[in-house]
Amino acid sequence: MPRNNYSNTKSSNSEGKLSHRRINILKNIVLVALAIILVRLFFIQIIEHSAWVAKADKQHTLLETITAKRGQIYMMDKNEPVAVVLNQTTYQVVIDPAVTDKESVKNVLTTHAKDYITADFDAVYSQEGLRYYVVARNIPRSIAEKIAAEEVPAVWLQKTNQRVYPEGEMASGLLGFVNADGLGQYGVEGSLDHLLSGEDGLLKTTADINKVALSIGNDNVKIPAEDGKDIVLSVDRGLERGVEEIAVNHLENSGATNAAVLIMDPNNGEVLTMANLPNYNPGDYGNVKDASAYSNYVTEIPYEPASICKNFAFSAAINEGVMSPDTTYYNQGYEIVDGWKIENAEKRSSLNGIISMRTALYWSLNSGSIYALKLLGGDSTSINQQGREKLYDYYYNKFRLGQATGIELLEAEGYIPDPNEGWGRDSTYANMTFGQNLSITMLQTATAFSAVVNGGTYRTPSIIKGTMENGELVPQIRTDTIEDKILSDETSAMMRDMLVNNRNYKVANGIDRLGYAIGGKSGTAQVIKDGSYDNTMSELVGSYIGFIGPEGELPKYVIMVKMWGEGQDIDSGEAMKLFDSLSNYLIDYLKIKPKG
Amino acid sequence: MKTRKHKSDLIILFSTMGLMALGLIVIYAIGPMRANVLNSTYGTDYDANYFFLGQLRSVGLSLIAFFAAFKWIPYKYIRKISKPLMIIAIALSVLLWILSLAGSSLAKCELGECRWFNFGAVSFQPAELLKLALVIYLADFLARKKEEGTIGDWREFWLPLLIVCGVSLFLVVIAQGDLGTGVALISIIFGTLLISGVPTKQYLIMLALVVAVAVGAVATSSHRMERVDAWLATLSGSESSDSTYHVENAMLAIGVGGLFGVGVGNSVQATGYLPESINDSVFAIMGETFGFVGLFLVIAVFGFILVRMLKVAEGTPDLHDRLLVIGVFSWMLAQVVVNIMAMTSLVPVTGITLPLLSYGGTSMIFIAFGVGLVLQLSCYTSREVIVNNEDISSRRGVGGTHHSGRHRHS
Repeated sequence: MPRNNYSNTKSSNSEGKLSHRRINILKNIVLVALAIILVRLFFIQIIEHSAWVAKADKQHTLLETITAKRGQIYMMDKNEPVAVVLNQTTYQVVIDPAVTDKESVKNVLTTHAKDYITADFDAVYSQEGLRYYVVARNIPRSIAEKIAAEEVPAVWLQKTNQRVYPEGEMASGLLGFVNADGLGQYGVEGSLDHLLSGEDGLLKTTADINKVALSIGNDNVKIPAEDGKDIVLSVDRGLERGVEEIAVNHLENSGATNAAVLIMDPNNGEVLTMANLPNYNPGDYGNVKDASAYSNYVTEIPYEPASICKNFAFSAAINEGVMSPDTTYYNQGYEIVDGWKIENAEKRSSLNGIISMRTALYWSLNSGSIYALKLLGGDSTSINQQGREKLYDYYYNKFRLGQATGIELLEAEGYIPDPNEGWGRDSTYANMTFGQNLSITMLQTATAFSAVVNGGTYRTPSIIKGTMENGELVPQIRTDTIEDKILSDETSAMMRDMLVNNRNYKVANGIDRLGYAIGGKSGTAQVIKDGSYDNTMSELVGSYIGFIGPEGELPKYVIMVKMWGEGQDIDSGEAMKLFDSLSNYLIDYLKIKPKG
Repeated sequence: MKTRKHKSDLIILFSTMGLMALGLIVIYAIGPMRANVLNSTYGTDYDANYFFLGQLRSVGLSLIAFFAAFKWIPYKYIRKISKPLMIIAIALSVLLWILSLAGSSLAKCELGECRWFNFGAVSFQPAELLKLALVIYLADFLARKKEEGTIGDWREFWLPLLIVCGVSLFLVVIAQGDLGTGVALISIIFGTLLISGVPTKQYLIMLALVVAVAVGAVATSSHRMERVDAWLATLSGSESSDSTYHVENAMLAIGVGGLFGVGVGNSVQATGYLPESINDSVFAIMGETFGFVGLFLVIAVFGFILVRMLKVAEGTPDLHDRLLVIGVFSWMLAQVVVNIMAMTSLVPVTGITLPLLSYGGTSMIFIAFGVGLVLQLSCYTSREVIVNNEDISSRRGVGGTHHSGRHRHS
């Protein structure tokens, strides 16, 4: 059934065709446009799909480090661990430099945290593609809250830890510091950084544009941080403080600028005091003028402890059975070795002639220790290969001089010359008997000395008592320590006897108290300048080592003191005076009971 | 003579409903993300369901507009109000312009462009009304000129046409800074002109003229040039910048979608990375969510609607009615093609909504009204005309026999 009447005029027909043609044009436009779009979509979604996914991952994935809490450092206070390096929560500001509102970011930070800004904004903003940059550090909580309240997009606050030192500058050379990047530097902080720093955790998650983690996504990862260990040093806080105060006083009156003090228990190798003076402020480590101030002289700087080494040469000869304290020799005030004249420092004529080794040690005669070397070679008239090798064996293999001791700190090795190599070996070894021509650290010296006086056992020194876990001290268990009986009990007893003899006059003078066995030995070393000894003696390093304990018992403590100053002739007398004060302080502080 | 009423075009009907439903699903999934981003970035307090409820309200109003145009308002009546409607639409845009110049709070501005009347909780975009009004006005104007035989005449035809279209374009593109709506208006103008029977030569001259003006307008405006530069930059894949951010993230969303998409509710780009994720960029979010397969279907649905509209136009005997259909067709074509091409970096970003899917009430209500109108007219097509192409012209006799091809001789 027809719906309409049609009037088929020619013109309307052709016009209808025109209209139809033009509608067809529109149809073609639709089809072509949609076809182009579909091809484009196929290209983006199918062909380029993985590239876009990779780009999206980069944009959507929030990688956040979960910072491990750095371990605290404790010292012992008598028997209780006390924290001497603490953590304080501070904040660092991270910005996304690609976010456009650069001015307000800059304004907010300069308004609130001007002093904490560590980055140059212009430099940060000029880096292409940078999405994350730490621009301010160590911001206290109060200021961080102000910044957070500004709610600037693309500015984030991250918690960080800052080190706090309740004891101030005390033991700074031992403790070290933590730098702006959170890395431990020098001392315990540097040496034990791997224990203190722990393992940072990782948070990897899909996040929205405000860096808020989303539940969308399948490869979200969270690795919790493993906090660093709280380390307890064997160092006694009160003793360290007292020792440092006494040493500072001595420095003021001595002309020396530096002092290092090591106190250890010779029976187990535990370090009780490790002082490096002057101290610096570890919270303001950047203001130290000379980086040598960071050094721990006790473990890191080898030197020539001079006549202190006579103990080792004597011990060797006695232990080899070729010498006793009563062995005598002819002292002419000097020895000529390899054409070199080696003189005694003590030149009084009353000593010339036949004297005992005890006397030689008392007056610290170089001719005496050279005689011990001769005896080691089995020829009392000259130094020979056997003597050198024996001395080397004792120095290097038994006393482990010139080797790292294995303490838990960074340490230097030093150097012991080979007995059979090099020119002038006999004179080198003659010098070694009184502590020159070698370089060893204070810790090596004191550890070897401990073996000399403790009955003859070499023990690896240690400075870590253990770790704090849940408020309890968990003792450290080390499996790599050495316990080596290197000297006989008799040798050790004879050495103690001679060392006490060295100080008998101190008892008479009322310096050393009755009822205690206090022995000691001094050492004055010339400083090597430009590769040779400075014979003008214008700069000397004074050292003193000794032990202390109740009379008739094994020593309880070994104290080693070193004093020096640039261009200063600090002889061992200054170091000995400091030792005198310290030994008395030690008796009082540790309440060492005299022989009953 | 009246064409007998028959069933409406079911493909258009169901496609339209389907797209509205899809829009609701997408907004339901990403609306909470949008609220969250706005809340945490601007400290606003949008409820998680705020945008979904808003879209639900828009869809409800759009359905009313849709059925009003489809069932309740006779299409003959539409022609009667064409002039007053156009005057109201232009007046509203002028009013908005004045209000925005006066800095009134009644004019709602975003990023320096004042496109909305602000009535507290409700806002209204007069440019959307202007598109509809122009469709209705041009259908009447062009059909009238055709009947008068003055099509192509300078004073009777081009001059008034240029004034009306010029004023509309000025208000939209210059006063409101709405290039997207401008493109839609031009599409409506040239779509209806094409079917009105304007001589090919004049048509092409006018088209060339508009292209020249457009190029000139872009080249002389630094911020429009910036968009073109950004577009070229994304096309060539060179360095990212602030101005390429939008398109890059739209393409990133689409690219991540792959073949089947990440699934409803798993869009990450909607969590703040992609600007305008719920309105202008909703196509990209759908690409991420439904993948190539999903976008293919969406485009196919739009394709069906557009092609079916052309079928309706072909079958519509009266020129005025046919122009109405073509006007709505051109309007939708412009919005769909320009929006999607911008999201895929085939054209520069102009800021135009995707019909029936984008969040935004005014735009959906008016396009729904337009589609409803087409559906009403689809009830009066002649099957024979569609089947029998030669007979299409015969329908021209219905409206009046006094037409002539006079203009062709001029």
